[in-house]
Amino acid sequence: MSISFEHVSHIYSKGTPYEYKALTDINLEIEEGKMTAVIGQTGSGKSTLVQHLNALLLPEEGTIHILDRVITAGEKPKKLKSLRGDVGLVFQFPEYQLFEETVLKDVAFGPKNFGVPEEEAQKKAKQALRLVGLPEDVYEKSPLELSGGQKRRVAIAGILAMNPKVLVLDEPTAGLDPKGAVSMMSLFWDLNKKHGKTILIVTHDMEHVFHYCDNVVVMADGRVSLHTNVKEFFKDTSLCKGLNILPPALLRMKDLLKENGFDVPEDVMDETALAKCIARQVKKNG
Amino acid sequence: MGNITLGRYIPLDSPVHKMDPRAKIMAMLLVLISIFFPAGWTGYAIIFVAVAGVIILSKLSFKFIWKAMKPMLFMLVFLLFINIFFTKTGDLWLEIGNFTIYSDAILNTLYIAVRLLLMIMITTALTATTKPLDMTLGIEDLLTPFKKIHVPAHEIAMLISIALRFIPDLIEETERIIKAQESRGVDLREGKFSEKIMAILSLIVPLFVSAFQRAEDLANAMEARGYAPGEKRTRYKVLKMHMRDYILLLGAAAILTGMILLAYFL
Ligand SMILES: Nc1ncnc2c1ncn2[C@@H]1O[C@H](COP(=O)(O)OP(=O)(O)O)[C@@H](O)[C@H]1O
Ligand SMILES: [Mg+2]
Repeated sequence: MSISFEHVSHIYSKGTPYEYKALTDINLEIEEGKMTAVIGQTGSGKSTLVQHLNALLLPEEGTIHILDRVITAGEKPKKLKSLRGDVGLVFQFPEYQLFEETVLKDVAFGPKNFGVPEEEAQKKAKQALRLVGLPEDVYEKSPLELSGGQKRRVAIAGILAMNPKVLVLDEPTAGLDPKGAVSMMSLFWDLNKKHGKTILIVTHDMEHVFHYCDNVVVMADGRVSLHTNVKEFFKDTSLCKGLNILPPALLRMKDLLKENGFDVPEDVMDETALAKCIARQVKKNG
Repeated sequence: MGNITLGRYIPLDSPVHKMDPRAKIMAMLLVLISIFFPAGWTGYAIIFVAVAGVIILSKLSFKFIWKAMKPMLFMLVFLLFINIFFTKTGDLWLEIGNFTIYSDAILNTLYIAVRLLLMIMITTALTATTKPLDMTLGIEDLLTPFKKIHVPAHEIAMLISIALRFIPDLIEETERIIKAQESRGVDLREGKFSEKIMAILSLIVPLFVSAFQRAEDLANAMEARGYAPGEKRTRYKVLKMHMRDYILLLGAAAILTGMILLAYFL
């Protein structure tokens, strides 16, 4: 069981004047049970990459291994449906895919498509809705009545109700207020740490990568330009600066303190520890 | 969806792309009308050569035309069958027991096929070489004389331009929603009838919701910038006829005249 890309490339609208090579020679192994961030500028191919994971897009060249399945360029993939059940993909702005009359029905739609009987599907839907933290009084409401953040939770619940082993999220916090974004991220953290789901998350927010993720994949111009673990990535600000990324606030703070003569060890990686370390030095020097 | 070619603008650098949209629209209308005169195979041959010339000049590939034609093939095959069974005039070309095929059955079908091909070639030569925005400017200008009889030329042009403007967006949105629902296990190809209905609903409802949302956003944005239908507006882009435009119009007019002559006087 693994998730890996070998020499994968993808071309949009092949054979037309609009032809565009969005992925080039992707080689990547995604660790199971971990939370991996995919970052990179708009248009770098992040969405294209993640849509290969449940075979919505098929590679032009190369091979993809997902769990126990193999997708090879030029071959029609088998067992597509079961793959889509195992790899839950949440699109950017997923609230646009809601269509049922009630929240509960919409969330139960996924499991029902996989042949789960009505009653069982409802049970799964309720579980998923509880998981994403929606109160029971919205279950019978129309999805269109909810707020943006709630809609998005419903859409995510719709994927979770299928009980996927791997959860792929394309910019799940885009357009949410900071508080909503943080609670969304802690939801994914829980799903990863408590429910053991492998999570792949496309994001632009370095704070999210820094605080919640284990590994990070950097995309640039349709290629993987860096793949490392988050600790390594944020060891200092040099990697970020090289990639033209604004480092997380804590790292910027550490840089500033060092510039001003403080001694900040590398392993100080949260606010409390940093505050203590500075306080100690201030006291010592009177 | 990426392979829809009918009516799509193809950005290339050619003399046809640079022509005045008014001239192109008028020329297209003239040649389209000339197809309907019974000028026989000679007539069609002339039109074909002329239109093919324009297409070559516009650097479009014939593969592209063929792709636009493909969806019509099914209809043509169907037509051929109907004709074979019901048209029993002309020479007898084939007889196997009770089954007969007469020449008119084949020729009639061929006739329609050729007309269809010509129409697609002509409209494609226009739509593939003219930006939607230029097209609407052209339509608005051509409709202006009819303002006297209270045809709302500007409003019609604005409607068309908005509709054209949203086609690619809606195609993209449809693709997106299809993918999103496929991720939820929707199978648009297989499945029972009741499942298919659900699958289609899961597409249509979000598509409508987002289309209304877009319409509202656009209306607000236009009002916020002071758009009022019926007010006098100046244009950023002013159309101007050149030599090549007059040549195109002249050519189209010549074809129309030629077809009338062929059909009724020669
Ligand atoms: N359906 C499509 N057809 C053609 N080109 C596309 C399509 N989707 C994306 N692209 C192009 O592929 C490139 C990568 O897109 P995408 O994977 O969406 O990037 P990201 O998610 O990193 O912003 C972009 O240049 C985009 O314009
Ligand atoms: Mg994207």
